[in-house]
Amino acid sequence: MIGLKAVTLTLGSQAGPVEILKGIDLAVGAGETVSLVGPSGSGKTSLLMVIAGLERATSGQVSVGGVDYAGRSEDELARLRRDSVGIVFQDFHLVPTMTAQENVAIPLELAGARDAWKRAAGALDSVGLGHRLTHYPGQLSGGEQQRTALARAVVAKPSILLADEPTGNLDGQTGQHIIDLLFSLRAENGATLLLITHDPVLAGRCSRQVGLADGQIVKDNQQTAAVA
Amino acid sequence: MGDWALSWRYARRELRSGLGGFRIFLACLALGIAALAAVGTISADLLTGLQRDARNLLGGEVDLRLFNRDLTTEERAWLLANSQAFSATAEMRAMASDPETRERRLVELKAVDKAYPLYGDLQLEPPQSTESGLELRDGAWGALAAPELFRRLDLELGDRVKVGTETFELRGEILSEPDSAARAITLGPRLLLPLERLEAAGLAQPGSLVYRHWRLVLPEGEPFADWEARVKAAFPDAGWRIRGLDKAAPSVARFISQVRLFMTLVGLTALVVGGVGVANAVRAHLDSRRDTIAAMKCLGASGSFIFKLYFIQVLLLSLVAIAIGLLFGGLAPVIAAPFLTDLFNIGLGGPPDVLPLLRAAAMGLLTALLFALLPLARAQSLPAASLFRGQIDMRRMRAPLWLWPALLVIAGLLVALAVLGAADQVFALGFVGGAAAALLLFRLAASAVIWGARALPRPRHTTLRLALSNLYRPGAPTVGILLSLGLGLTVLATVTLIQANLSKQVNEELPKDAPTFYFIDIQNDQVAAFDSLVEGFDNATGVERVPMLRGRITAVNEIPVAELEIPPDSAWVFEGDRGLTWAERPDPGMQLTAGAWWPEDYRGATKVSLSDELAQELGLGVGDSLTVNVYGRDVTAEIANLRRIDWQSLRINFIMVFSPGLLDKAPASHIATVRIDEAGEGALADAVSDAFPNVSGIRVRAALESFTRMLDSVAAAVGATGSVTLLAGLLVLAGAIAASERRRRYDSVVLKVLGATRPVLAGGLALEFLLLGLVSVLIAAVIGGLAAWVVITQVMNAEFSLLVAPLLITLGAGLLMTLVFGLAGTWRALGTPAAPLLRNE
Repeated sequence: MIGLKAVTLTLGSQAGPVEILKGIDLAVGAGETVSLVGPSGSGKTSLLMVIAGLERATSGQVSVGGVDYAGRSEDELARLRRDSVGIVFQDFHLVPTMTAQENVAIPLELAGARDAWKRAAGALDSVGLGHRLTHYPGQLSGGEQQRTALARAVVAKPSILLADEPTGNLDGQTGQHIIDLLFSLRAENGATLLLITHDPVLAGRCSRQVGLADGQIVKDNQQTAAVA
Repeated sequence: MGDWALSWRYARRELRSGLGGFRIFLACLALGIAALAAVGTISADLLTGLQRDARNLLGGEVDLRLFNRDLTTEERAWLLANSQAFSATAEMRAMASDPETRERRLVELKAVDKAYPLYGDLQLEPPQSTESGLELRDGAWGALAAPELFRRLDLELGDRVKVGTETFELRGEILSEPDSAARAITLGPRLLLPLERLEAAGLAQPGSLVYRHWRLVLPEGEPFADWEARVKAAFPDAGWRIRGLDKAAPSVARFISQVRLFMTLVGLTALVVGGVGVANAVRAHLDSRRDTIAAMKCLGASGSFIFKLYFIQVLLLSLVAIAIGLLFGGLAPVIAAPFLTDLFNIGLGGPPDVLPLLRAAAMGLLTALLFALLPLARAQSLPAASLFRGQIDMRRMRAPLWLWPALLVIAGLLVALAVLGAADQVFALGFVGGAAAALLLFRLAASAVIWGARALPRPRHTTLRLALSNLYRPGAPTVGILLSLGLGLTVLATVTLIQANLSKQVNEELPKDAPTFYFIDIQNDQVAAFDSLVEGFDNATGVERVPMLRGRITAVNEIPVAELEIPPDSAWVFEGDRGLTWAERPDPGMQLTAGAWWPEDYRGATKVSLSDELAQELGLGVGDSLTVNVYGRDVTAEIANLRRIDWQSLRINFIMVFSPGLLDKAPASHIATVRIDEAGEGALADAVSDAFPNVSGIRVRAALESFTRMLDSVAAAVGATGSVTLLAGLLVLAGAIAASERRRRYDSVVLKVLGATRPVLAGGLALEFLLLGLVSVLIAAVIGGLAAWVVITQVMNAEFSLLVAPLLITLGAGLLMTLVFGLAGTWRALGTPAAPLLRNE
């Protein structure tokens, strides 16, 4: 489902180029749940960005759902995300000037779905926000905003779900609720989940844990298991 | 006081980061102030120049003008005895020809005596005195002509030119003429001849259209008013027009005042449009300071402290904008002087007048306050809790109650400044009212657009949906853009339609039966020969000929004109001599609206047929009386009937047609119109000129072209000011786009993350601006059309046609500029890379 071979990422900075990812090899199968763990600055978010097609690998091969990213235009990658990838961010990244329902409907509307509006309402209902359809993000609590973002990520039934510390800005109880929702929604569609987290308990809920340090994979319990 | 001092300190601290975020604020305000200041200083410079050069322009300290009559011996003796210096001239239109090629050209003839000019210099090439240029030398009298005449007749210095029956030697080119203020309509180049040869050339005959002027220098120490009273007492019935230095060029002064009024009002509109930009900029600034405001409130700052802090900033920025605007306005006369000096024949480019600068500064400050106070007042109500809750729409904050009366007072002061200084206060008030109504209409339209975009069923097409939702989302700049762009386009549409209508009427709308020629100065003894000559041309039709002399209305119902209250629209009728005629029978197509025509053989007390339009304006009817001074003699006539006049027919029309009897004894010339096809034009003009050297043929089309040229230069000036309004509108658009750039970048990144392609995003933006532009253009077309209709039909009393082509071109260009500006401003948002914005490591 997701395949990375010898992927490197080097970004320019005022102090000179910085190597963020250093030869990542990773293969994730369909329906797998993978947690990405590691200290701040280890390259977790960058890896997620590369997989989402939001950042281009400096070298190496990236393929998602059988689509090789090499030579693909920005717009082709956008269409791939629209159809196959759902993303949840720590900072929610809702469009502040759109209502909850409008936010959730975006991927469906971009795909030209006739029932986008109805399905967006359904998705919000499924995360317990059926009564908040016309509210703007500013009128929602943090937990509600993340639930809206979650509904938006899953509404188009993507085959891959990417989540970047989805509970990082939430209190423990709300965070727990969001994670429960994330896992149950994933289970409904059988989507592949890649989850960045600092929480070992949460990482433990995934079938596979991948550890990153200094831009390299330092731990992958699937490989460990295979070797064992 | 302590509060203000602290606010001042905080305000300064905040501004330390520079004025970069206020570029649009400064540009919007400075542009309007510069336009107003420039119009003010340039017109003040022109009016001051008129005063300063009054002696040159008038040709003396007093100008006495008589129509086709020389001074009597008594009058001459009196004037000589009561002046320090004295000069006589005569002005008329005549035909000048090259005796060899027989090429001819209508000229504006001025015959001058040896004392001319009393003031100023007649600049000639080669340099010489007027006297030597015109004197009798080797058997030939001299003539001086404008370069245009040399060019048109292909003549050189030393060549001969024939005027009337006399031939003159061309001795110099006139480079500048001191006593010729801008004349609205000139039908030909200037030709100067010696006055003593006017009669000999057969030009000044009884009834010829000759104006004679006597310019003199007042007796030492005698004020003009005293002198005027004495001359009037000495010759109460002379019938001359007397002008002193205060009226050296009244029509030019009036023209400048009227153009100034119109341009000031258009400039004010630009300022108001800029005001929308000011409001947007202040709102954006306060939005970006939302956290600061909330944090300060958390730390104990009061609402009024917050208000003062940002009020001081707005004041400081306004002062910077005012300084920039005044700098441009102050330099404007220096920049414009080279162009205007030639046009108006007055010395320009002195130090700028302070009053118009102060006025522009005051208007700028009031506009800034008018538009900045609302967002400032709302910011003071921002709750501290907003620090913890994002996206509180500042526009939903309740404004304090004191705000509304304060805004009313500021708006009132602004209107007062615009209206009280205006030459025509009713027009100015009408303009301000119209502009306010247009502003309100655009505001309502903006609400309707927002409501409509929200209420429409969500379209399936992604691009259209994006565009529509961009129009009504919280914080969408729809209102500001529609207001500013709409007003700018409205002014431009109005100016375009007025200009196009006038050009059309002058150029294209020549009625089918409009004459080709006017022939003037046909003498009584030439009438029969003239008629038969014209009859000899088979293709000459529509020949009309009437006797004509000139006279001035001196009393209405026996009340002297000076004691009458004359409505401004009719003032022109009383300001100079009017053409008069008499007739036994009514013209076949004549339409009487009141009273009856006199019997054909009527020879009783003089009666007059009056224009019904003029009668209505003056409140006159059948049975009232008019007194007209003709050749120094007052003739009182009872109004027998009222007549409708169609000026646009271009036929011979007279405001006053008298019954025969008294006037037909006065010396008069005849005026004739002839219609002839283009092939016959030249032959007819030659034949008439050969047979009657004193008769001048005026081509109607050439006269209209001269009129069009004058209109075009006014239209260019007004159009330029109108463009400033559109530029202000585009600046506001640019400001609104800049203010929303952060939001647009963020939105485009999030939408891209969710799968939106660049064509979809770009299409959404293009459609958004297209929709805004289209609504602005449509409303601008309606309001602009209405405003142009009012100006054309009510102010200019002409016929209005809705000329779609120029309107479409202007508004189409406006729409295109909106699109280009909009897309150029937002294009960067589309290219924003997603990762940096989303990264939270």
